[in-house]
Amino acid sequence: MSKKDYNFPADLHYDGKNHMWVKKENDNIVLVGIDAIGLDTLGDLAYITLKPEGTIVKKGEPIGTLEAAKMTGDIFAPVSGKISAVNAACVENPGIVNDDHYGKGWMVAIDASDWSTESTALISGEKLQPWIEAETHRMETQGFDA
Amino acid sequence: MRWRLICDDNVHASFGLAADEVLTRRVGLGKSVPVLRLYSYKNYCALVGRFQDVHSELNLDYCKQSALSINRRPTGGGAIFMGENQLGVAMCIPGKDDDTYGRARELMARFSEGIISGLNALGVAAQFRRKNDIEVDGRKIAGLGIFRDSSGGLLFHSSILVDMDIAMMLKVLNTPFEKISDKEVATVAERITTVCREGKRRIAISEMRVKISEGYQKVFNISFEKDDFSLEEKEEIADLEKEKYLRQDWVFQTPHVKDSVGMAKLKTEKGLLDIRLTLAGQQIKALFIRGDFFAAENAVADLEGSFRWHSSNQQKIEDTLNKVYTLRKNELSSLPLEALKKAVNQALQRAKILERKQASEPYGCFVTPGGNAHV
Repeated sequence: MSKKDYNFPADLHYDGKNHMWVKKENDNIVLVGIDAIGLDTLGDLAYITLKPEGTIVKKGEPIGTLEAAKMTGDIFAPVSGKISAVNAACVENPGIVNDDHYGKGWMVAIDASDWSTESTALISGEKLQPWIEAETHRMETQGFDA
Repeated sequence: MRWRLICDDNVHASFGLAADEVLTRRVGLGKSVPVLRLYSYKNYCALVGRFQDVHSELNLDYCKQSALSINRRPTGGGAIFMGENQLGVAMCIPGKDDDTYGRARELMARFSEGIISGLNALGVAAQFRRKNDIEVDGRKIAGLGIFRDSSGGLLFHSSILVDMDIAMMLKVLNTPFEKISDKEVATVAERITTVCREGKRRIAISEMRVKISEGYQKVFNISFEKDDFSLEEKEEIADLEKEKYLRQDWVFQTPHVKDSVGMAKLKTEKGLLDIRLTLAGQQIKALFIRGDFFAAENAVADLEGSFRWHSSNQQKIEDTLNKVYTLRKNELSSLPLEALKKAVNQALQRAKILERKQASEPYGCFVTPGGNAHV
């Protein structure tokens, strides 16, 4: 079995449970998207819906739904706050997420309400590499993240 | 491990779908052990995939005239036609932290093993086909889908064609071809198959149930306890029907990514080639191949099946065509590969032009000013 080389940019934070990435922008605004293992687990995305701007979300709650090659399901908020922007381009063309999920394929921006607490539960910095290795191993032996 | 086995028949579309979702949620929340539900719908209903548009997928006038119920599944994929001769399979299991499925590299393949085992026991040489079909020598016999509930529960859905009234199905489900002729019915009949046809005898839903449940017992090393919905589950199902599956805004919601269909007709030395390609964003949803060439229908069905939810990348399309032709060289000898590549590409380019046109229309099915409704 060939070992997959998943890309996890070091400047991002990751929600280890739901495989979403978080990028801290100015103030408490964070950009949110799906990470490499999340996308590989789901397969190419075909459809996405996202909750509208202004929606208050809690960490772990759905911020949208998706249909991918392997399943349909919810997209989960990695942090709590208010959705401050929705990437309409990826809703119109989910192929953007398939092609550039760390860049143009960002999904929503959230005005995080408790970044200082919730960010500690995200994976980043020195915790990142061990987590990537563990998750890659898990994907190779289990092939699935539910 | 002991699972619940729930069997019911003659169910209404909204009840059937709500029951699956409630069971999945309860399993995800730890309120129920895993459940295998084997059921059939009341004649007839049409169920579209999670993000499909009922207006483009179904002949709504005919559905209304014939009092067919229509609804929307939580799982993805294409529209299906269900009644007393199609067996619905709903496997509701916990998602994470369950070692039973820990080594399942490919979930859909793993979950379909119980069905395949049951079909094999009936003498049907069924096998899993990526991404979401079970087929017999290129002909689809069952569709598959997975829904991950926010509770963490997983719903694996399948519809098994025990038997099928194809003429009726084609009246209900829209196809990209202009009219439903006897030839079209015959073509579709050759590209899908049924358990009765493969088993060469009449096979009752009750017999299928026994074989499928035995298949799951064997594959997952479990035992079943025959059960029914609890009172609490019945109440939750009734609530979910009201909140979701009986609501027009669930059934008639329109997708943000509108399908576009491109067509191409090409004269080849072996006959006319007539291609329809349905594109959703950058994904090919379906490829339909018709014409007056003489190729084995199961091989053409295999070609069509290879392009369900396929990338529209030109190189990937060529790779897939080459792969199928390598496997089925003799059966496809009357369908020239180069002509097919050309026709598929033409249909794709036309679908893309249509897609761009739709995208430029300000009030189409794409995102409208003011944001997206999340349903």
